[in-house]
Amino acid sequence: MTQDQFAITVGVLALQGAFSEHLQLLRQAATVKRLSALPDVKWTFIEVRTPEQLALCDGLIIPGGESTTMSLVAARSNLLEPLREFVKVHRKPVWGTCAGLILLAESANRTKKGGQELIGGLDVRVNRNHFGRQVESFEANLDLPFLRSEEREDFDTNRVPFKSVFIRAPVVEMILPAYEGVQVEEEAKDETVVAPSRKPDSEEAKKAIGAPVEVMATLPGRSAALPNKVATAHTEDKVGDIIAVRQANVFGTSFHPELTGDSRIHVWWLDQVRAAVGAI
Amino acid sequence: MAAELPVINGHGAQANGNGESATSFTVKAGLARMLQGGVIMDVVNAEQARIAEEAGAAAVMALERVPADIRAQGGVARMSDPRMIQEIMEAVTIPVMAKARIGHFVECQILEAVGVDYIDESEVLTPADDVHHVEKHPYKVPFVCGCRNLGEALRRISEGAAMIRTKGEAGTGDVVEAVKHMRTVTAEILKASTLSEPELRVMAKEIGAPYDLLKEAATLKRLPVVNFAAGGVATPADAALMMQLGCDGVFVGSGIFKSGNAAKRARAIVQAVTHFKDPKVLAEVSKDLGEAMVGLNVAKMDEGEKLAKRGW
Repeated sequence: MTQDQFAITVGVLALQGAFSEHLQLLRQAATVKRLSALPDVKWTFIEVRTPEQLALCDGLIIPGGESTTMSLVAARSNLLEPLREFVKVHRKPVWGTCAGLILLAESANRTKKGGQELIGGLDVRVNRNHFGRQVESFEANLDLPFLRSEEREDFDTNRVPFKSVFIRAPVVEMILPAYEGVQVEEEAKDETVVAPSRKPDSEEAKKAIGAPVEVMATLPGRSAALPNKVATAHTEDKVGDIIAVRQANVFGTSFHPELTGDSRIHVWWLDQVRAAVGAI
Repeated sequence: MAAELPVINGHGAQANGNGESATSFTVKAGLARMLQGGVIMDVVNAEQARIAEEAGAAAVMALERVPADIRAQGGVARMSDPRMIQEIMEAVTIPVMAKARIGHFVECQILEAVGVDYIDESEVLTPADDVHHVEKHPYKVPFVCGCRNLGEALRRISEGAAMIRTKGEAGTGDVVEAVKHMRTVTAEILKASTLSEPELRVMAKEIGAPYDLLKEAATLKRLPVVNFAAGGVATPADAALMMQLGCDGVFVGSGIFKSGNAAKRARAIVQAVTHFKDPKVLAEVSKDLGEAMVGLNVAKMDEGEKLAKRGW
C-alpha cells in the first residue's frame, strides 16, 4: 500500500445541528489507541455543506439537530440525491445520531404535515419524538455490548457504563424486512413516510442489499414508564426500546454520544470506517 | 470565527446548579446544541408556524404579537394564551418556545405545565419584576435569555439559562444593536482571556458576573452555552452577518411575517444561516425577496423606547 491509501476523510453533515460536537469527538477519538490491529491512518475531519465536500468523504456522520430542517436544507442545497448515492449506491460508512437516525431510516412516522424527505439505508421504521417533548428528555447509563473488545477493558460498558443523552429522541419501533426496493407496505400506511430506493453500483455494494438489520442496543423500561405513552406498533416493551441499529454500512443511534465527552463509540465507528476503506 | 463550544459544558455553569435542578444542565443545554446552525422564528398562530416549519425553521417562538406590533400598539405585553401555544405545538413537530415576562416565575410555571420546549425570559414583554430575574435552575424546561454584554450573559447563565441570545433591538428590523451586543460580548471575553487571576476577579466585580463563569468564558474564549443572535435580523445578509460574528444560530422575530413574501424570506434566511460563509449562496438567496419589513432606525429612537434596556 502506498502512503495515500492510509489517508481517510470523514465528514460531518453541517447543514444544521450539533456538528461541531461530533467533529470534536472525532478528533478526540483519532488520538485514542485503536481497538484492533488495523493499519494506522491519517484522518481528516471536515464539515460537509456541499456536494463537492461530500465527494471528498470516505465516511459520514449525520448529527443531531432538527431532521425536518436538515432534509429541507439538503434538498435546497442539491445535497439530498448525493447523500442517497453516498449511502445507498456507493454504500460508504455512515452513522446517524438522533435526527441522523431518522434521515437514514427507510420509514418514519410522526413527521411534519406533508411528510419529510428521507435518505434511507436502514430497513427500519423510526418513531419521531418517541419519548415526548423536551421536558421528557433524559440521561441514561447504557450498556452497549458492541463496544466490548478483548484489547480494551475500558470499552466494557458493564464496567464503565456509557452515559448518554436523549433529547426529544426517536426510537426504532420496527425492524422491516430487508428489501432491495422501496418499503411498499410502509408506503401504503397513512402518516408514514418512506425513502426512495437506489441501485447499488458495485459488487461490494450489492452485498449490502439484503444484509440483516442488527439491533446493537436497547433501552429497557423507559417507554413503559412514560406518562402519556404514545401508541406505536412496537408495544412489546419487555425487550425495551431499540436505540442503536446497524445494517451493512449504515449505523444509527437514537441518543447523542456527542454530548457526553465519551469518545468510545467514535473510536469504534472509526474502526468500522477503517475496515470498510481497507476492504474496498 | 467563533470558538468551539466543548462537548461538555464547563463546570462553572453546572456547579451553579446547586443540585436542585430537576433535569440536568446537559439535557437542557443539549437541546440548544441541537438548534445550532438553525433559525428560530416568531409566529403568532398555527398557520404561521406551519409556514416556518416548511421553510426549515429549527424551532418556533409562539407569541401573541410580534415585537413590531408590541411596539406599535403599546400597553402591557404578557405571556401568550396557553391555548394559542398549544395549537402551535399541535401544528408542528419542531420544538416550540414561548416567552415569559422578566421575573414572572408563575408565567414560567404555566409554560412548563403547557409543555413548551424552551422558555424565553424576554425583555420584549413588559417586565414583571424590576430587580429579580427568574431563578431558572429548578425548572425541567430549559431557558434562553437575552444579553447586551458579557456580565448580563453570565448573570443569566448563573441563574440557570441554558442558552443565550443577543437582545438586539426587537421589532425594528435594524441589526445595529444585535451587532453591538455580539461585538461587546466578544470583546469582553477577549479582554478576560488576557487577564491574570487577580485582574479577572476585579473584572468579575466590575461587570457583575460570577468569577467562575467569567473564568470559564475566558478559558473557552466564548460563552459557555449556545449563543444565538436576536433583535433586528431582517434579511439573509443580516443573519449571515451575525453568524460570521460568531453566533451559533439566529432568532428572527418581526423580520419574516412583517415582510412581503414571508415564506420565501424565511427559506432564504434558513439557507443563509447554513451557508453563512458562502457569498455566492447568499447572493442567490437574497434575490427577489420582495419588501423587507419597513423598519425603525434605532439611532432615531428615544432611549425610553428601547426594549433592550429591560433586564438587570
